[in-house]
Amino acid sequence: MATAAFGDRPRVFSGAWFTAVLASLLSSSLLVAAPEAAEEDASTGQPNAQAVAAQVDQLILSELHRAGVEPAPRASDEDFLRRVCLDLAGRLPTRQEITWFCLDPDPQKYAAKVDELLASDQYAEHWARYWRDVIFTDPMNRQARLGRDAFEQWMAERLKQNRPWKTIAAELITATGEVRENGATALILACGGQSEEIAAEVSRIFLGIQLACANCHDHPSDIWKREQFHQLAAYFPRVSLRQTVVDGQPTLMVSSVNPIGSRFGDQLRLNPEQFVARMDRNGDGKVSKDEVARLPRFAAVFEALLAQGDSDKDGSLSVAELKRLPPPQQQGRGSAEYFMPDLNNPRSRGKLMHPAFFVDGSPESPGLDDQARRVALSEKVTSPENPWFARAMVNRMWNELLGEGFYMPVDDLGPERQPRHPEALAALSEAFTASGYDLKWLLRTITSTQAYQRQARSREPGDESPPFAAVLPTRLRVDQLYTALTQVLELGDLNASTRLRGMGPGQRSSRALFQQLFAVDPSVPHEDVTGNVPQALFMMNSPMLHALTQARGNTRLARLLRDLPADGEAIDELYFAVLCREPSERERQICLDYIAQVGNRAEAFEDLLRSLLNSTEFVTRR
Amino acid sequence: MNGFRHDQVKLTRHGISRRMFLHMVPAAGAAAGLLGWRDHLALQAAELRKQGRAMILLWMAGGPSQFETFDPKPGTENGGPTAAIQTAVPGIQIAQGWEQTAKVMGDLALIRSLTNKEGNHQRATYQLHTGYVPSGTVKHPSLAANLAKELAPAELELPAVVSVGLTTGAGFLGVDYEPFVVRDPGRMPDNVATGVSPQRFRRQLELQAQLEGEFAKRAGAQPVANHRGIYEKAARMVLGPSTKAFDIRSEPESLKRQYGETSFGRGCLLARRLVEAGVPCVEVRSNGWDTHQDNFNATSRLAGEVDPALAALITDLRQRGLLETTVVLWIGEFGRTPRINPRVGRDHYPRVFSAAIAGGGIRGGQVIGASTADGTAIAERPVTVNDLFTSICAALRVDPTRENISPQGRPLKVVDGGEVVKELFG
Repeated sequence: MATAAFGDRPRVFSGAWFTAVLASLLSSSLLVAAPEAAEEDASTGQPNAQAVAAQVDQLILSELHRAGVEPAPRASDEDFLRRVCLDLAGRLPTRQEITWFCLDPDPQKYAAKVDELLASDQYAEHWARYWRDVIFTDPMNRQARLGRDAFEQWMAERLKQNRPWKTIAAELITATGEVRENGATALILACGGQSEEIAAEVSRIFLGIQLACANCHDHPSDIWKREQFHQLAAYFPRVSLRQTVVDGQPTLMVSSVNPIGSRFGDQLRLNPEQFVARMDRNGDGKVSKDEVARLPRFAAVFEALLAQGDSDKDGSLSVAELKRLPPPQQQGRGSAEYFMPDLNNPRSRGKLMHPAFFVDGSPESPGLDDQARRVALSEKVTSPENPWFARAMVNRMWNELLGEGFYMPVDDLGPERQPRHPEALAALSEAFTASGYDLKWLLRTITSTQAYQRQARSREPGDESPPFAAVLPTRLRVDQLYTALTQVLELGDLNASTRLRGMGPGQRSSRALFQQLFAVDPSVPHEDVTGNVPQALFMMNSPMLHALTQARGNTRLARLLRDLPADGEAIDELYFAVLCREPSERERQICLDYIAQVGNRAEAFEDLLRSLLNSTEFVTRR
Repeated sequence: MNGFRHDQVKLTRHGISRRMFLHMVPAAGAAAGLLGWRDHLALQAAELRKQGRAMILLWMAGGPSQFETFDPKPGTENGGPTAAIQTAVPGIQIAQGWEQTAKVMGDLALIRSLTNKEGNHQRATYQLHTGYVPSGTVKHPSLAANLAKELAPAELELPAVVSVGLTTGAGFLGVDYEPFVVRDPGRMPDNVATGVSPQRFRRQLELQAQLEGEFAKRAGAQPVANHRGIYEKAARMVLGPSTKAFDIRSEPESLKRQYGETSFGRGCLLARRLVEAGVPCVEVRSNGWDTHQDNFNATSRLAGEVDPALAALITDLRQRGLLETTVVLWIGEFGRTPRINPRVGRDHYPRVFSAAIAGGGIRGGQVIGASTADGTAIAERPVTVNDLFTSICAALRVDPTRENISPQGRPLKVVDGGEVVKELFG
């Protein structure tokens, strides 16, 4: 089974190319045995990845069988290699890698390649960028860009060390610090420090549950109520995101604000009677400006409160007036408690909410400080008792690797939605939990399934048959595409060329500019990601790509044409470079005819390279 | 109603000048109500694409304060320091800072009684663009995409939806109606010029199309079809002469000054050029209306950009005879709280907000609906988002009940419910 690709595609190795491959093979010592999976299990105590993969496959196959759907055949070695390199390391396989991998007769080579990729720094970089886009695409807070790089670095470090997903999640939920200094503040930064937004994002990203609708109304189809959303938001009122200056540079700081002593503003809202009793010196049952003058820091706040709440204009505030005060403004600046807005009376302060976790309904004891609240929540979110945590992550990773998830979209799991292949999802989620939320384990297991190793096949619109009979071809993510371009053109960075200008204004790196044009929210279903006209225009016409795809000077194409005077060989090499496979007979013939028709080798090959770079296949993970 | 139908039949059989048709329909449309013109639409669907009907959406991102724009409350506590100014239409006052717009009040209808429930930027922006609240599973097309689908001529070389600034997409209507986003309206979009001769460009496109066959067969019929669709559109932009519509540099300096030398002003001028060139839907964004603090200074600065551009756009469209067929809508995702908060800002308030609308047969110089004296509630004639969208469809002769089938197999109307705001056409 594992080496079937050789039999399936007899044309893969031909002529001079084959000889060259043999030569390089003989001089290498690549046939090293892969480490035995079982040993690893003994040392880690985790479920066996291969065994879990087989179980998941069986569950999927039996469901496909019930539905009368024929699974696609296994992908060729070239397709598997390109897919797994893009998925795990965010890059194309190198020319040499393709040769060696396809010729390697070892049936363990698939697992070995996966392990090799997971051990690379590229793995950590690639997935850190993925999570950067999950958190930062279209953030509610426009200043969030400030923390992007720090997050990417922080996340890459975590992935490199293979920290468990529960640890990463907990760090993101409980982070404090300056946003360029501590990348873990990313989630709170992107949410502008606002309780409701953080609650919605924690629920969406870690649990796959869209609770934000419950912000304003009871969810029409789900069991969770508006009040439960606001109980989740009540974990975060004491989070503060403030402007500050560090080393002369303006930045933002995430910190905890807890009501200790001086925060009269909170006290007077929570318990106006007590506040008046404390402050009222002349016994008129009201608090005047003079009476708070001994607290200089509070006096200014009081002035503002007077302006808002002094309805009888007597220069002081009574208990009744205090109770009518509007809710504290500027969420995200830290306030003692969280109030659920009263929709019928937006001017009132709303209803005081105590934190409680909607999944199991468990409340926190009142009066916890910010860290205690957030730690309590992070423990509940990442607890093995909470099935949504593992399910959401498994679904998300499966969606990335197979092209679609058990639930679609990946951040809208339920509670009353039915996944497809529920048993397979349950089995994989349980094993992921048992692995200790080990991310590499999860990727190793998914890439070990037959489901992942099948040929890619797009779905006709309206086809409702169960998924995973084939891998869904998906568009490359922005960073995969950028890296792929640098690989094809053999450049360290597109910026390495001085001809880069024309890509856009400003001094930002070319990767960042590329990001602007090609970035897509990773939570959007792959099937909905189609590309657009500006992207096509860039790929067709940008002066930069135009210069880099010329047959003159020292470009990749120029070198290739110099090295390979025979057109057929040059065509083959170009296909390997761009599409990581050999051309079919038909494709080779189309290219040869084109070269003959144009009558100018350099020009014809420029057109050919540009055509391949602009092809669907190049921008697609197949 | 019969008379109206008769007119339409006569129109198709004998042909009537476009001008006369335009003159006739608004009155007849009002008389006939929704049903009447729905029938007529079946007859006229193909004709519609030739009429050059268009919508320009001026989007005030963040949610503009109604008090500092079209519903001032001078001398009240909630109104703040904002004064009201007279307009060209006696009896209609708008906020200070909108002096140029005041001059074209005769073409503008104000709606002061819009009401909605979404107070979250993203959700409300989605709703005010699509007419639907976000549902998670269905990607609703924007109204612009829906309108473009009905209005765009088949031979249009330009994108059917253009937006100056990022906006809501075409959802399940797909790549044909995805907005073409312009980032800098002051210059040509990036990469529309090719570095090779048109002949060579075409030749390469043919090669590219030929080479796609293998992958379509092997794995990706659907991705290849999408990709081809996008490349065909892109190629038409590269090769077609109408792409010069994106270039505002040829416009007279005096006109540019009238629109204002700002990104928003240039965006509005570009919008007029695109509509003139046949683009059915253009959006121009003004950012920064989320005035939680320093509301009065911020809105006054923003009005300084939007006011001249809005007024110049209406004047320009009218002078070119395009206002009859072009609906201009000024709106944001919600209004702002009547109460001024301690940071001298106003917060989100979907319950009462305002819009300004002109063109497409809409009767200008009128105010529809009213808010209460303190601005906290609707005093008369509530208008919902769907009422507004249905009215825009009416002005553009698009059937709002026309259904598109979502990928989940659900039929979804262009606008789900809502009544035409008849006063707009009265």
